[in-house]
Amino acid sequence: MSFPSDLVYSREHTWVRIDGDIATVGITDYAQDTLGEILSVELFPEDSSVEQGEPFGVIESSKVTTELISPVSGEIIGVNEDLSDDVGILNSDSYDTGWMIVVNLRDLGELDNLLDAESYADYVEEYEEVD
Amino acid sequence: MAVDEAIFRAGREIKIPPTIRFYGWKNPAVSLGYFQNAEREINCGYCRERGIDIVRRPTGGRAVLHGDDLTYSVVAGENSPHFSSDIVETYSIISTCLIRGLEKSGIDAEMVKEGRAGSGPVDAFCFSTSCRNELLADGKKICGSAQVRAKGIFLQHGSLLMDFDPAEVCAVITKDTGADTGTLERSVTSIRRSVGESVGMDTLCRNIAAGFEEVLNIRLMNGKLFPEEERLKDSLLKSKYRNTRWNMGQGSKSGH
Repeated sequence: MSFPSDLVYSREHTWVRIDGDIATVGITDYAQDTLGEILSVELFPEDSSVEQGEPFGVIESSKVTTELISPVSGEIIGVNEDLSDDVGILNSDSYDTGWMIVVNLRDLGELDNLLDAESYADYVEEYEEVD
Repeated sequence: MAVDEAIFRAGREIKIPPTIRFYGWKNPAVSLGYFQNAEREINCGYCRERGIDIVRRPTGGRAVLHGDDLTYSVVAGENSPHFSSDIVETYSIISTCLIRGLEKSGIDAEMVKEGRAGSGPVDAFCFSTSCRNELLADGKKICGSAQVRAKGIFLQHGSLLMDFDPAEVCAVITKDTGADTGTLERSVTSIRRSVGESVGMDTLCRNIAAGFEEVLNIRLMNGKLFPEEERLKDSLLKSKYRNTRWNMGQGSKSGH
């Protein structure tokens, strides 16, 4: 399972790529693997506001429906329209073409609540062991 | 449906004990999966004519015709000692409870090992497919279930068929009133089809509850909604479950 070192991660299994006060958000390799075949995704539209720890969309896989929990707060300034044509890229390329939303960050300080790749890998491992 | 979601949402904010509910339906109703759209997936005109309500679920999956069924729901934390953070494992645990309850009702059920694809014109119907951990009796689907998860809490609900009318399902699901019911006849069963009239709704409900108690080694206690759950239920009735746009699956679905 891969967790690129240039990203930061939330405990709700999203990744964040930071560029100044702009964040690109998607789901991690662990999330897509756990969900299994992803069938549908619905994301909040552009210009809507998201809060760290609150939903920004819903995803349905062959196993479960789950809310997508935003790792950051701010305004959505981009939504990946390619997902409506081929939601399968969330399984095949979750870190690149499978990005979900771009957010104009409201509070850079809350990035401290996120994990680097190594810490996230440890978190996933512990999460699995609890089970 | 509003009560199920209220318990699920309350569980994320306040500490509540794991909750199991059993319920029936006053009027016949079709429940749609979260991502389904009523106009596309079912025959809304037929539903209107026959007084069949349409409601959309917080869970995914396909349409279910309710009325002659026992609906169950389970809400618990992923870290609850009785369940699992693993999605499939949770299905498996709940299936084992349901199988024990069905066994007490004289029905030999088993979990689906290999999924079965949809069957043509009734593809939008939940029981036209089977997935791992759903339940078969005599090789035919008798119970369909779906799960939603958020913030460490899961809601799984499902429908156990008391009776099954393939012609009515075809009429509700397809716009083709002459649709072939043979595929459904061959792939779906019900309590009455399995054991006749010997097991009524009350008995089935008691047996399934006992199945949960035995398998999980727990004692179920009757309870009422907590005030927070009541408040959320009222709010969800207003924002979703008495709202045609939500129930028909129209427009943006996200947001609560």
